[in-house]
Amino acid sequence: MTARSGASLPFDDQRHLLAHRWLVDETYLLDAQNYAAWLELLAEDVRYLMPVRATTALGAGFDTAPGMAHFDEDKYSLSRRVARFATEHAWTEDPPSRLRHHLSNVRTFATDRADELLVDSAVLLFRSRGDVREPALVSYGRQDLLRSTSDGWLLALRSITVDESVLRIQNLAVFL
Amino acid sequence: MTVLDDVRRGMIPAHIYNDEDIFRLERDRVFGRSWQFVAHESEIPSPGDYVVRRVLDDSFIVVRDEQGDVRVLFNMCLHRGMQVCRAEIGNASHFRCPYHGWSYRNDGRLVGLPFYRDAYGGESGFRRAGQTLLPAPSLDIYNGLIFVSLDADAPPLRDYLGDFAFYLDYYTRQSDAGIELRGPQRWRIKANWKIGAENFAGDMYHTPHTHTSVVEIGLFREPKAEKRKDGSTYWAGNGGGTTYKLPPGTFDERLRYVGYPDEMIARMKETWSAAQQKVIGENGFMISAASLFPNLSFVHNWPKVADSDDVLPFMSLRLWQPVSADETEVLSWFAVDKQAPEQFKLLSYKAYLMCFGSSGMFEQDDVENWVSMTSTAAGQMARRLRLNSRMGLLADDTTVTEALGSDEFAGPGTAYVGYAEHNQRALLHRWADYLEQPIAAADPVDIGARP
Ligand code: FES
Ligand SMILES: [Fe+2]
Repeated sequence: MTARSGASLPFDDQRHLLAHRWLVDETYLLDAQNYAAWLELLAEDVRYLMPVRATTALGAGFDTAPGMAHFDEDKYSLSRRVARFATEHAWTEDPPSRLRHHLSNVRTFATDRADELLVDSAVLLFRSRGDVREPALVSYGRQDLLRSTSDGWLLALRSITVDESVLRIQNLAVFL
Repeated sequence: MTVLDDVRRGMIPAHIYNDEDIFRLERDRVFGRSWQFVAHESEIPSPGDYVVRRVLDDSFIVVRDEQGDVRVLFNMCLHRGMQVCRAEIGNASHFRCPYHGWSYRNDGRLVGLPFYRDAYGGESGFRRAGQTLLPAPSLDIYNGLIFVSLDADAPPLRDYLGDFAFYLDYYTRQSDAGIELRGPQRWRIKANWKIGAENFAGDMYHTPHTHTSVVEIGLFREPKAEKRKDGSTYWAGNGGGTTYKLPPGTFDERLRYVGYPDEMIARMKETWSAAQQKVIGENGFMISAASLFPNLSFVHNWPKVADSDDVLPFMSLRLWQPVSADETEVLSWFAVDKQAPEQFKLLSYKAYLMCFGSSGMFEQDDVENWVSMTSTAAGQMARRLRLNSRMGLLADDTTVTEALGSDEFAGPGTAYVGYAEHNQRALLHRWADYLEQPIAAADPVDIGARP
């Protein structure tokens, strides 16, 4: 896997500005549930991973449930998820949720490849459904690998570190 | 209680899905007495391995001790009641209480009390010998599935399962090696725990509608979700489930049809009884979802995991762990035969993630329904509504279709083809039986006192 080289890039570095802008633009697509456009930003070999966090003793050496994830997706499975939302029968999002991905703490690292950047960020997702339900919050960190291609910069890897072991959200019919 | 009479008639008072008083009764009389799944042996393979699981409000350490035996210990220090283990998974030879430092071996034995002699006067003040963290009142294991009951006089687990054990084997014993269980994914839904249990027990009727979208995107080989009505439901012992009708073929062909490789099919043949094989090979029914009373469910399905015509089967176990009358923690595990080829395990895991669990496409629409039902059940109007759960019954209580004969369905229990709510009624019947019987208060245990 691509490794980060050196400290995080200065905030006025062109590569950081590019990556930050990419993430912000993506956030608006996700809030609007414009998943067809979002799918276009994913590399053919994309991996989209969200391990299950588990509470373990200090020094246990691991803090995820072994061999299990909330998401462990490739382009095919993501495309099926997106296709499902495009049907008229994905009831869980009809009526749609009101979503806001609050993005922060963005930092960018160069890698040993000129065409790849590693980007860390933190996100607080707010999701509201209907009028009587409590809204749901999901707090998580991301490690993204962005790759420059002839189609522009694409997401090649997203690794999501969720901050709860028991999610307080009815389902993950959202992208993080 | 008239609510229970209504339930037994198949007329369900809608408020039972969100009612504090009912929940209090369930806590004592259903969860204080029934067998509760806590973990599978494969989650704690080595000495010292543990997971912490709850039975409602009670936290238990499920641990393999140094002798290799499974122990289930109430996670409360014998001194002042602190939780002795605050991680949810790990490995430990001892558990040391963070409050005053009492320590326990991983078989539960109390071995260390700081200043035992100075503060307690040793054995003459506090009888340390033989003190252990409170073990679960009853503990029993079937196919590696570890169950506990808060009732010290619970019947043996095998008797409790009854004929449901026949079907449980399909999910948990595809070879002599049994399954490995991975997970669980855990998340909270604002839904009453009974709804999921009923749905998995027998609701084939919801599939064509609730899950239309999953069929539309081509995840299944069967083009139409209506196929479900050709399947059968069965109720046996303390559980029941649903099946799909498969196209004509032999046992091998039908298992190949849902995506099992030949080497796994060969092991199933060595492992399953003639009757278990007959249900698939001759009767043509393949198990799908199921529930064991009160709140453990199973699922087996076979979606496409890549852009091709091949399908691949997966299995999941899930617990509908009540939090309150209107909230449930779902614990959803992926299960796969231990001896399955690595490539099969990988693809089966992908199939599971796409379909069920916290992000699963089936689960997404199911839960939306259940959350909505639960919040609607809270009000006064719900108290005036008795939901009709009599599908499959005529007014005189005879059935719409006849139960399958033993030549049509080789499994134990009672099975019917087509849409009906026989199983949901059977589950709620059990529920009513439990709710009706008060439980006796258990004898308290004095810690360290001289006799
Ligand atoms: S509460 Fe555990 S040692 Fe005192
Ligand atoms: Fe469903």
